[in-house]
Amino acid sequence: MTLLRAEGLTRHYPLPRTRVLGPRPRLTAIEDASFTISAGETLGVVGESGSGKSTLARLVMAFEKPDAGSVAFDGKDLHSLSRPDLRRLRPEFQMIFQDPYGSLDPRRRVGWSLGEPLRAMGTDEGRKIADSLVQVGLHAEDATKFPHEFSGGQRQRIAIARAIITRPQLLVADEAVSALDVSVRAQILNLLMDLQEELGLAMLFISHDMAVVAALCDTLMVLKSGNVLEQGNAAAILNAPQHEYTQSLLTAAGTP
Amino acid sequence: MIELDTLSVTFAAGSALRDISLKIAPGDRLGIVGESGSGKSLLASCLMGMAPDAATLSGTLTIDGVDMSDADEETWRPLRARRVAMIFQEPMSALNPLRRVGDTVAEPLRLHFGLSRDEAAKRVAELFAEVDLPNPERRARMFPHELSGGQRQRVLIALALACDPALLIADEPTTALDANVALQVTDLLVDLSEKRGMALVLISHDLASVARSTERVAVMYGGDIVERGGTDDVLHAPQHPYTQGLLAARPDPQAALRDEQGKRKRLPTIPGNVPPLSGLAQGCRFAGRCALERPDCATARPVPHGPRMLLCPVVEGAA
Repeated sequence: MTLLRAEGLTRHYPLPRTRVLGPRPRLTAIEDASFTISAGETLGVVGESGSGKSTLARLVMAFEKPDAGSVAFDGKDLHSLSRPDLRRLRPEFQMIFQDPYGSLDPRRRVGWSLGEPLRAMGTDEGRKIADSLVQVGLHAEDATKFPHEFSGGQRQRIAIARAIITRPQLLVADEAVSALDVSVRAQILNLLMDLQEELGLAMLFISHDMAVVAALCDTLMVLKSGNVLEQGNAAAILNAPQHEYTQSLLTAAGTP
Repeated sequence: MIELDTLSVTFAAGSALRDISLKIAPGDRLGIVGESGSGKSLLASCLMGMAPDAATLSGTLTIDGVDMSDADEETWRPLRARRVAMIFQEPMSALNPLRRVGDTVAEPLRLHFGLSRDEAAKRVAELFAEVDLPNPERRARMFPHELSGGQRQRVLIALALACDPALLIADEPTTALDANVALQVTDLLVDLSEKRGMALVLISHDLASVARSTERVAVMYGGDIVERGGTDDVLHAPQHPYTQGLLAARPDPQAALRDEQGKRKRLPTIPGNVPPLSGLAQGCRFAGRCALERPDCATARPVPHGPRMLLCPVVEGAA
């Protein structure tokens, strides 16, 4: 069952004028990207910096509007919903970010940060904070600690706990394991696989690292300078990349 | 050329490097691999004579036959840049945003060699050409923000090369770069090392780039070198349980994604986390996370052994 359907997503950003009276040039961040994600399935998006990966995530999360195209989540067009309606739908799709140091308020206890999505929804915290901490392999008592008491990998677990606390159907992960060490990265990838099976999560997983994407994704989309170079079954692309660029990403992620 | 003998660095919280012995000969290419907190960057700063003030050092560091263990800043200054140079992870923060990159690279040339402005500018253009920056004269007049991340790292390599160092230490030089650009920068470092006969110490958590560019590798964990040997030998037939765990934890892009039941395959992991400095075992640093652990591992300091240097009492050494 298709949970997320993006069609013809395009987003330009205006650049500074080059001449006083000239038109403002445009940067095409993403051009005509279409894809679907079903429940329990992972779409991997790979590309270098500047390829439009994060713009794609921002459009899917409805943090900004596309210049063309649409995103339908569970049949509802996210970008035509009213703000209150969008807000009511947000618990269903959550995001985790790259930097586990920047995404947690250093002055607040972890439990407070975890409870924020629940307070925004207006639901009761109850046992949910403790439960979600246990679910990501931490302890219920960790809620009373501050972020600086945790390692990078543990912080990323906290960020994941915060994202799943609203029981979302879709998780958008933007370079969620890029800042982590190899052995910690493997633990977090396994955790994401566990949670996906447990909760039936659909995932949009963004990374520049082919090896990471290969471990996690069913389908794949390769971006370069805002254009979709190739997309389809992950195993097919990994075993027989059609584009030189995809091949070079694979070489770069090569085994030692 | 450079020799470290049983170098140890201790902080109030615990010892951060324990009995590190290394030899670097001219033209050597050595990789130092380890995760956060393994002590690899600290080791690099020791090689540059820049150990933090809070640290207590023991052991000896010899450069060109001269014992530098107790050398002061005055003794170090001429050695830095001219014998040992270093490049860092973040190419943006290592460059002064208000200076043209050519002027930054010219500074050591004027300072150490007393070149005139014109001579220095000419040399900078040569250096920029050597690190494959297109259109070197024009690049030299640019500011850091006008360059891409890969180009900035090339500028820093040119800066490090300016005084013809005998050893270049690269501390995570490609971590902030895109995969393709990282590959080019690593290849450039190898190329320069070969052409100039310059020794290269590549510090990285990226096993693939170390495999590509070095002849020997030292694997660090908790301030120990746990395994050291030929890069191919160590990375293709790791013997220390930590090296094995680290290599297994890398996802393989070509491997099958799901098992027969259609369940997604999990990655092999090393149980637990790297403990803080104060929480490391007094014996083997890897104790508590190791599958081969024996009762006395946590308390008895392992002795390095084997033709390939191995720091594990349980595993028999091999080449």
